[in-house]
Amino acid sequence: MSTQPLSASDVDVATRTDDVWVTLVWNDPVNLMSYVTHVFQSYFGWPRDEAERRMREVHELGKTVVSSGSREHMEVDVQAMHSYGLWATLRRSGE
Amino acid sequence: MRGFQESAEGDPPAAIAELDSEERAVVARVVADVGLLLGGEPFGMEIDAADADEDPLFRHLRGFESALSDPDDPAVLRILPNAAPDDRDVADEFRRFTEPELRSLKVDRLRTIWKALNEDGPEWVVPTGDAMSTAAALTDIRLVLASRLGMETDADATALHEEIDRAHDPATGRYVAGNAQNPERVWLGMLYQALTWLQESLMSYVMKDDVMRDDV
Repeated sequence: MSTQPLSASDVDVATRTDDVWVTLVWNDPVNLMSYVTHVFQSYFGWPRDEAERRMREVHELGKTVVSSGSREHMEVDVQAMHSYGLWATLRRSGE
Repeated sequence: MRGFQESAEGDPPAAIAELDSEERAVVARVVADVGLLLGGEPFGMEIDAADADEDPLFRHLRGFESALSDPDDPAVLRILPNAAPDDRDVADEFRRFTEPELRSLKVDRLRTIWKALNEDGPEWVVPTGDAMSTAAALTDIRLVLASRLGMETDADATALHEEIDRAHDPATGRYVAGNAQNPERVWLGMLYQALTWLQESLMSYVMKDDVMRDDV
């Protein structure tokens, strides 16, 4: 679990407060730093410095939380990350 | 081989790389192989009329049977990974609902590249609008090669690069067959490196405007 607090804009209004899920992106030796940064920028709409910071978290810490919200929303995000060849998973927040 | 650069004409905007005929054949072959791994029709063998008429629903259903559990081939699992390693039900449900669509998206992107590589001449033209889907397809191919090469960690990647270096003459930089303990592995590794380099050059093209925006 990332120790980085989620910013308000990251947190969706979930249907139930105890049913918040997160999407994680994991490090792998294949994905290029430039590519991961650009995917984060274009999919999540983050500015470049934020996208680079998250990319470095993946690279250096092994993973980062990229989004949180309802399970359905996280499934959409994980599918998008898989379409780009990024290794993403979802799980209940706090697990 | 020349990496991707901005098209000089610029209309329509495109990135252009140059590959000689042998390089094109090698890249087209691995593109087609990954398409087959994903369960696509063999590239160049599709029946065009049937393809055009085919209900998109059936295309999605084609991958459906295989979408009930994790793929057996670790290379396919690498491009269609388990979405919830700690929760079998969540993982299976995710795979059931997303995998057929992901497979056909990935196969379609590979087919676009394969067609571009089968055009005449040394140029590989990628219209700007296709740049990210091309980069994503290159990622999938590199993930498959990495799986075949047993590359799981950053340390594995470093070891592979060193192994390839040892197979080259330090003075001339040329490949020396006798230096390689496992020539097939070195050859696959060099293909992986070449595709990495091509994707890097494509990302420089895609991100050139990002840099300019940050400078303002």
